[in-house]
Amino acid sequence: MTWLPYAVAAWLFAIGLYGLASSRNLIHLVGCLSVCQSATYVLLLGLGYRYGSIAPIFYDHPPGTPAVDPVMQALVLTDIVVGATLSALLLVLTVQAYKRSGTLDPEHLKPMSRGGDKAAPATSAKHPAR
Amino acid sequence: MSAILILLFLLTAASGTAVVLIRDPARQIFALAGNGVVLTILFTALQAPDVALSELAVGGAAVPLLFLVALMAVRTGRRDEEHEG
Repeated sequence: MTWLPYAVAAWLFAIGLYGLASSRNLIHLVGCLSVCQSATYVLLLGLGYRYGSIAPIFYDHPPGTPAVDPVMQALVLTDIVVGATLSALLLVLTVQAYKRSGTLDPEHLKPMSRGGDKAAPATSAKHPAR
Repeated sequence: MSAILILLFLLTAASGTAVVLIRDPARQIFALAGNGVVLTILFTALQAPDVALSELAVGGAAVPLLFLVALMAVRTGRRDEEHEG
């Protein structure tokens, strides 16, 4: 069963990509992106895991006891912090996009016009050629 | 690989699937917090207590609260529009 972490990571990444592609709500889309990132946590910790070994803390174990790879755990720790920051940034961008366009559906987002926010009908009234 | 580890891996896959398949963002927040807690238990079983601690703080509390704040901002914006219009 050593393939199980890789299979779970691949499944999480695939289902997250499916959610990203089929989402109709920007907040739901950020949640799907965090599922994609949890695939990297599972992949990295599954790479560094050795069966029957201890956590890499040698306070009450003699040095040289078989332990799991601490480098992968440091990478996952960095990944979690980056993921939380990315979620916060994308949620702020989502709120700003909602304030600008009035919708959370990615299908209904209009391309940004030169005039800025909520000026699209006024601009088309001023320039009927557009 | 022991049975509890296999069970936790499968539970992780199931909770990630639940986060994607629950389409309502207000309900998705609960699934997201549950996913964070399941990942915390998985990391503890994988002998990574420091990662589990940070995942408990970030994935179990901070990120769902961020989603809640974003959802609240969107809803209050919608209510303001209704009052204006």
